[in-house]
Amino acid sequence: MTSFIYGLLLYFFLMIPPVANLVESIMITHMHMQMPFLVIAGFLMGKLFQQRFPLFFKKWNSNGIPGITLFLIIIIYWTIPRTMDEALTVQSVEAFKFLSLPFLAGIPLRDSWSKLSSLGRNMVIVIFMIKYFGMGALYIWWPSQLCNNYLLIDQLTLGWGFITTALCLLFYFIYLFMIDPSDYE
Amino acid sequence: MISVLKNRHTTISLIVVILFGFVLFYIGTDGFKAFTAETARLKELKEEKPVFPQVTMEDSKGRTYSLSEFENKYVLITFLYTSCGTVCPQLEKNMAELYERLPQYVGKEIVFLSISFDPTRDDPDRLETYRKAFGSDGDTWRMARIVDKDELDLLLERFGVIVIPDGNGNFTHNSAFYLVDKTGRLSEVMDYTRIEEAADTIATLIESEKGNKK
Repeated sequence: MTSFIYGLLLYFFLMIPPVANLVESIMITHMHMQMPFLVIAGFLMGKLFQQRFPLFFKKWNSNGIPGITLFLIIIIYWTIPRTMDEALTVQSVEAFKFLSLPFLAGIPLRDSWSKLSSLGRNMVIVIFMIKYFGMGALYIWWPSQLCNNYLLIDQLTLGWGFITTALCLLFYFIYLFMIDPSDYE
Repeated sequence: MISVLKNRHTTISLIVVILFGFVLFYIGTDGFKAFTAETARLKELKEEKPVFPQVTMEDSKGRTYSLSEFENKYVLITFLYTSCGTVCPQLEKNMAELYERLPQYVGKEIVFLSISFDPTRDDPDRLETYRKAFGSDGDTWRMARIVDKDELDLLLERFGVIVIPDGNGNFTHNSAFYLVDKTGRLSEVMDYTRIEEAADTIATLIESEKGNKK
């Protein structure tokens, strides 16, 4: 229950108009701060849903694959340049962002991650790594503006943000394969 | 048996999720066509064909007029500001190349017009310097500003030109060749980096109109 309340508080906090306006005014905080926090809010709230509807999750997401697929779809959708622009200019798109990221990405992630095998988890990380390198390259080397509502310099910053995130994932992988935790126990 | 049943449900939900994703992406990108707001904007403009509003322009020679000055001619328009160091010089250079590709029509069937969205700095003197730098003759290719802020905003909004000041006197803005037809409606929005394609489109339009008249 506590985690649900924290999640809900975070969710409401992100919805406060000045907070939303501030993080949305900069491209990189829009994508790499507000959006992940919305997912985290859903992740935290997810536990209560799991407790309330255990059968639903067990029945429809028994191996975690449908849930993680939904998570991937929603996350990829919100990295399309156009969706970011329209979240700023079209009210219904903004509403969809606040609904989809916590409830269609955060909750499924919580329910699915523990059900996935380590191979499945690694695959998800690899998908993100490739995607982030790709998006980073796109935002950095694309000659013109991808988003009408942001400056070119914002686009470059976001591109490097993607590359940095992808590098972190890569380092995690190197760590995973190079180091055997039992050596240190 | 139970495990098969379980898996069946999961398979169903996986299919539902994938279908949902497909529909979501389909709607979100206008059927996988517009991945940026800019492509979506161009698509919309081509369908809407907005009318060039009634605005007063002041050109580099200090003359003032509205679009009716160019009655019965096509007008090729670009939007710029002269302090711009990045896209605008490229845009105007390409416009000059396009101008040179259409010698048989320029002045008679079509005029070129560069409109500044920074009227405070781009006064006629400054526009005159800029005009010379790009070899425009000031008549069949004019450079003008729109002094009235409301009129300027109306035009930018209607033609979907988004201009964001960065606070240091520069602007980030989207660029294109805008072709306004003889009735004052926006007829084409063309990629300013594809000069040959733009020249072909314009020539085809003018020729087909000539053909209709005969």
